[in-house]
Amino acid sequence: MIEIEHVSQVFQTSSRQDHLALSDISLTIEDGAFVSILGPSGCGKSTLLYIVGGFVQPTQGIAKMKGRAITGPGPDRGPVFQEFALFPWKSVLGNVMYGPRQQGIKHAEAEAQSRALIEMVGLKGFEDFYPKELSGGMKQRVALARTLAYHPEVLLMDEPFGALDAHTRTRLQNDLLNIWERDRKTVLFVTHSVEEAVFLSDKVVMMTRSPGRVRQIVDIELPRPRRRTELLLDPRYQKYVVDIERMFDDSGEAELRP
Amino acid sequence: MMSGDVLIKRSAPFLACLGLLFAWQVFSLALRNDSFPTALEAIRAIPSILGDKEALVNILASLRRMAVGFGLAVAVSIPLGLLMGRSRAVASFFNPLLMVIYPVPKAALMPIIMLWLGVGDVAKTLVIFLGVSLPVIYHSFEGAKSVEEKMLWSGAAMGLTAPRRLVRIVLPAALPDILTGCRTGLVLALITMITSEMIARQSGAGNILFNALDMGQYDTVFAMIIIVGAMGIGLDALFERLRARLVRWSEPQFDVPLSFS
Repeated sequence: MIEIEHVSQVFQTSSRQDHLALSDISLTIEDGAFVSILGPSGCGKSTLLYIVGGFVQPTQGIAKMKGRAITGPGPDRGPVFQEFALFPWKSVLGNVMYGPRQQGIKHAEAEAQSRALIEMVGLKGFEDFYPKELSGGMKQRVALARTLAYHPEVLLMDEPFGALDAHTRTRLQNDLLNIWERDRKTVLFVTHSVEEAVFLSDKVVMMTRSPGRVRQIVDIELPRPRRRTELLLDPRYQKYVVDIERMFDDSGEAELRP
Repeated sequence: MMSGDVLIKRSAPFLACLGLLFAWQVFSLALRNDSFPTALEAIRAIPSILGDKEALVNILASLRRMAVGFGLAVAVSIPLGLLMGRSRAVASFFNPLLMVIYPVPKAALMPIIMLWLGVGDVAKTLVIFLGVSLPVIYHSFEGAKSVEEKMLWSGAAMGLTAPRRLVRIVLPAALPDILTGCRTGLVLALITMITSEMIARQSGAGNILFNALDMGQYDTVFAMIIIVGAMGIGLDALFERLRARLVRWSEPQFDVPLSFS
């Protein structure tokens, strides 16, 4: 369980002014839940994810994982970034093996596990390719496999499909759901796409524009496993999407793109 | 079978050298000046230099100093540059220091260094060390500074501590920049090697060159210029091959990504 208690974040802008990015956020994320943080750009939703990751220390408040305060990054929380952040000097296999090797797993065992993961994300045959040789979608598949390889309890996904074209994004959303439905890790997923949030999540945390506050939490009660083609025709799915978009519209929180 | 394109590409440097030598030959024949021997005369003087045991010992001593100076400079400069790139405190301490040293021609320090350390190997190696250090520090610094933050975060999440991140992430990520600095450093090592021997004349390739100049043996002077130039080209080509191998992963030879989603 992740608990975020009264977290606020103040940044100093380049003109040395204080900018309140997050204001008094409290949130509980249950184990095994797929939770999306949805909000317009600049609402601090990524910052909230970085605080849970331990990459950024909150100005006020506290984030806890299993009841213990988060003071820094750790292998129990695995990030997947929009920028992929792969190690360019390592092959696909080398990238995926990096975490397990770091944790002292024997080379042969780490390699076998990593090859299986690479196959699972659909990249069999690309083990020896360098990141440079891969398309964006393939890079994000490698990044996901690299993070899954060290068995984090929580996946922290920071607009992971934001840099991909619509077709690739849809394929990766489907594949992510398939992978997630196997082991039901806790996922914290940052996005600005209403459809993406509703399609993937158990719970959607809607945030307000800067300073970021929790505006509303919507439980998505759609059956799993979810099939995109079925869901798009499902009136309940459509209602969630329209309701959430309306709520943003009403408060002038435009700029939410599908 | 080599294709025509590859053949042209491979032979281009040699053709350029031949062209230069030809132009030299034509000009020196046209000028008919004693202090400007023809290319052929200079080339003919090379075997007698390389065949002379003392000259050979001198040249090898130069190369040894250059190797030691270069090696020490790289060993100190890469860690320093990387630390500066990742720590604002380290950077703000060393930056002003380097700014002061940077524009000073390192050979200009030679008289002071000679005064303190004599005219021997130590003084000359130190000048080479200083000459090589700055480009290597600068490029390592720039390389470390531009390492993607998220890449370091990914490493931190895997459990890498800050010192290990510096060695296992910042170093390889900055390697293309570091090696660019080293390549500049290698050429500067050759330059400072010759200039240091020109000022502290005692032994070395620079010493042979300037002794020949004093004695009016112009064919030897030009022969030494060819030898030093060839050493520079050879070392640079060797280093470039090593560099290309080490950073193959960053070369833009796969500009078109494979299409697959």
